[in-house]
Amino acid sequence: MTAALAASHKIARASWRPLLTGAVLIGLAEAAKHANLLPVFVPSPSEVVMEIWNSPRLVTENLAPTAWKSAMGYFIAAAIAMTAGSIAVSVRAVYGPIYNFGVIIHSIPIIATAPLLALWLGTGPQVQIAIAALASQFPMLVGTMQGLQAADARQRELMHVLSASRVQTLWMLLIPSALPYLFAGLKIAAPSAVLGAITAEWAGADRGVGAMMLYALFSYDTPKVWLSVFLTCFLAAAGFGIWALIERLVVTWQRDVEIAD
Amino acid sequence: MQAPPVAAVPRDIKIEQLSMVFYGRGEPVIALDKIDMNVAAGQFAAIIGPSGCGKSTLLRLVADIMQPFAGSISLGGESPRLARHAHSLGFVFQSPTLLPWRSVKQNIELPLDVVGRGSSKRSTRTTKDLIDLVGLNGFEDALPHQLSGGMQQRVAIARALVLTPDILLLDEPFGALDEITRQRMNLELLRIWAESGTTALLVTHSIAEAVFMSDRVYVMSARPGRVTTIIDVPLPRPRGLAMMRTPEFFDCVNRVRDGLFGNEQGGAPARGEPIEAY
Repeated sequence: MTAALAASHKIARASWRPLLTGAVLIGLAEAAKHANLLPVFVPSPSEVVMEIWNSPRLVTENLAPTAWKSAMGYFIAAAIAMTAGSIAVSVRAVYGPIYNFGVIIHSIPIIATAPLLALWLGTGPQVQIAIAALASQFPMLVGTMQGLQAADARQRELMHVLSASRVQTLWMLLIPSALPYLFAGLKIAAPSAVLGAITAEWAGADRGVGAMMLYALFSYDTPKVWLSVFLTCFLAAAGFGIWALIERLVVTWQRDVEIAD
Repeated sequence: MQAPPVAAVPRDIKIEQLSMVFYGRGEPVIALDKIDMNVAAGQFAAIIGPSGCGKSTLLRLVADIMQPFAGSISLGGESPRLARHAHSLGFVFQSPTLLPWRSVKQNIELPLDVVGRGSSKRSTRTTKDLIDLVGLNGFEDALPHQLSGGMQQRVAIARALVLTPDILLLDEPFGALDEITRQRMNLELLRIWAESGTTALLVTHSIAEAVFMSDRVYVMSARPGRVTTIIDVPLPRPRGLAMMRTPEFFDCVNRVRDGLFGNEQGGAPARGEPIEAY
């Protein structure tokens, strides 16, 4: 109980600055709109909020499909990336090929592949799931590969002198050393999955934030466009935030490693 | 705290014609050149020499961390690999090498987690005894990053003693400690060593430490790494700080110093000069 309380205090301490910054920016935008300083196609924040108020079903019906499709693609990508990353680290011969394959997939322009995948896979949610997976795999692959190599040579020698088995070394040394890198990968990949799913929705989906965005764009409904932008940010930030929170609770001994690819 | 720990199985260290070559870019580097050593079971031996003389390499070969280029190592008649698999080796690295997610207590108990809590190698000293021994009371649940470098190294020493090693390999274990702590740790180490019957091999930069601790000092030269002088230290045990004031102690220190730097007046071989003994 006290631990949970302490954790919430910690989160409150860490988040009041960004929250205040956001509130000030929104207030400035609102004031600027009322002073007629903003162009016609930029709505005031209150207009965007009113969109949610006027049609709450618009939000729920579009947010939920995008959320679950992004999450689905994201977790499929996580499973494949972590498996591939582990294989790459344990079998030296395939390390380069697996890494390069990840880079190539990461470099594919999603906007062009979404229609192609729609041709191959049909127009169901599978396209958005696949694109979300393709868009988010790379940071998790790199995180796994770097993480499993993060234990330093002395620590490995220590386990070696103790005559630890491979499983013991994996469990007591390699996985704990990998955690900060894994979390870094999971955090960075979450927004990519959301953006991937939304981009894929442009290529054909009847519901979803991406579909909503497209309809709003074509009907020049700028408050709805901004609402869909806001929803995208919300989903992406939520995905990042959940992992940041879990990381804070799990990795108490180290903070913020960098993933360099 | 004074409960007698599990006695170590006596194992001698027999090294014959041991050579190690590193292949990098350019010329192969001869790290060790035909090293012979003989440390009797239960003896305390020290290796001293300039940086790059291969003394750490030698220790790592004994610990089966590396494989020799030529020659043989026998630990109580067994290969280093067999001795390692029998959990007979203790190793203290130059750096503390703690696992950052484990608390002080959990780091000390790491060997128990690997070997099993019911292992016959387990020392009768409890984790609490060991924490007392290295003076880390009140820090049981601290994580390594909350400790100073010296405290971390003391955790590493406690960890090496949680099992009773037959052979304890110490790679400049006290280099990072302040002089006072260092002397105290040396005394404790000697006491533990005397109780357990462990054979100890200490790599050090300190002449006084080498003499104070050991029965025999191996002086090495660099490039290629060779044993140039062997000095027996006939000082009585148990040894205390008072011994460090005796002329016998200074005599040994001077002999090690002569072995390291050569006797300037007498024109004895200087460091690095090849000695053709074969």
